[in-house]
Amino acid sequence: MKIQTTIKNLNNYKIYLQVEKAVHEFMEKNNYLKIDIPVLSPALIPESYLDIFETEFNYFDKKQKLYLTPSPEIFLKRLLVAGIGNCYYLGRAYRNSEPNSDWHNPEFTMLEFYKLGVNYLEMAEEVIKLLQFINKKCHRNDTILFDRWEEYSVAEAFEKFAGITEEELFNEKLFFKKAKEKGYNVNKTTYEDIFSQILATEVELKLGVIGYPTLLYDYPKQMASLSKLNNDGKTAQRCEFYINGLEIGGFCTELNDYKEQEKRFISESNKRKSNNMINHTIDKGFIEALKYGLPFCTGAGIGFERLVMIMANVTSIDKLKLINIS
Amino acid sequence: MRISAGNLKKSDFVNFQGGICQVMKADFYSPGKGSALMKARLKNLITAKNVEYAFKSNEQVETLDVVSVDMQYIYKDQENLYFMDERTFNQVSFPISVVGEVSRFFKEGEKMFVYMFDDKPLTIRPPMSVRLKITGADDAAKGDTVSGAKKPVTVETGATVMAPIFVKVGETISINPETGEYTGRV
Repeated sequence: MKIQTTIKNLNNYKIYLQVEKAVHEFMEKNNYLKIDIPVLSPALIPESYLDIFETEFNYFDKKQKLYLTPSPEIFLKRLLVAGIGNCYYLGRAYRNSEPNSDWHNPEFTMLEFYKLGVNYLEMAEEVIKLLQFINKKCHRNDTILFDRWEEYSVAEAFEKFAGITEEELFNEKLFFKKAKEKGYNVNKTTYEDIFSQILATEVELKLGVIGYPTLLYDYPKQMASLSKLNNDGKTAQRCEFYINGLEIGGFCTELNDYKEQEKRFISESNKRKSNNMINHTIDKGFIEALKYGLPFCTGAGIGFERLVMIMANVTSIDKLKLINIS
Repeated sequence: MRISAGNLKKSDFVNFQGGICQVMKADFYSPGKGSALMKARLKNLITAKNVEYAFKSNEQVETLDVVSVDMQYIYKDQENLYFMDERTFNQVSFPISVVGEVSRFFKEGEKMFVYMFDDKPLTIRPPMSVRLKITGADDAAKGDTVSGAKKPVTVETGATVMAPIFVKVGETISINPETGEYTGRV
């Protein structure tokens, strides 16, 4: 990797600043408190699919491992338990083993916000308002209208774009059979991986391309992460949204059942161990905090550079920046 | 050779579902749950069709040693383009329908690269740029001085491209054959 500076991207960078300003304005107007978080953390939440950056604090013979935070979730949720109310973070996040590409860097900017008392579908209304507000403030993109969502449940989208029926989607055995027929390699793999492959290969490119952002909702429960399950027993209260075939962000009704959360942490931690990933300290305080109970809320995460890419009408992140490390 | 899909890069050749494909684009993608993916655009060299496919980044992919061999473009008929290996005098042909629009800019006698695998010709490797003489062009209308104004010109292979109004018959211009765009005066 090397440092590249350019002022050729100055106009795009100014759009970046405008979008950033618009986000802060929207959040302030809607009573979200801006939270500043530490970049270095002595402990993290175990997540089996995230590689992290590890460093060390040294003072004579005192040493302590520290980690660059891959997401502000760990801090914001502690504050939610403590009663902070609606809050947001807009700033850097770090993920290792994710190389530079047109739409991702290992060091990236994330907008994460939590709203109390709403579920994932109510949050969808808030997110479209945010997109409208940004677009109005920046007057940038007239190829996409942000006045409503194009909406598909995951089952509808898989049926329409990949020819996979609802029955096949929710039955692991039928799902593997169908994937194999379609030419996917189903040996030694998981439902989650095949799901992601089909979504990325056959579905995503068709989303957010008819002039509206597309909301994809109700993910199979295997893809629940830390979201609440629906009463149908098959799906989780999770959404992602897409513009021009690219995933821009997602949100879910937060799981606040402490026991279920602890179970998911143990399983994620075990997966990290068996995959030989960095064995970081687990934030036990976080689990303790959750015992007090996370309030009913929905959390949203948006890849900020991707959002600015849409507003600036460019196809890669490096075109937004004056300084690129690549 | 077998490699992890996470190491695929643009221009690699791979065996994908039984077809010989070239990687046109490969981007790492982490869906946030489960394995990371490598989203690739693959061009089948025989059918010239593009397909999108998301590999798991740890999935093994067979890369192929496709080589480029220097050949001379000799002529075309209704359906095919004919090339000759100047060392062996062997002739090979490819359907125009597969080579596509780029062939409008091929000049007889020009050298070009042909992709070969296991001694079998697959398709041509389109040149980055071709230089062709203008055989037909209108004179620029007087007073038409808008910067960037363009006019259609015909080049020696019979193809028509849009070029700046200042170019004249008899001059040689360079063209990107894949996009059909004028790139400069030579």
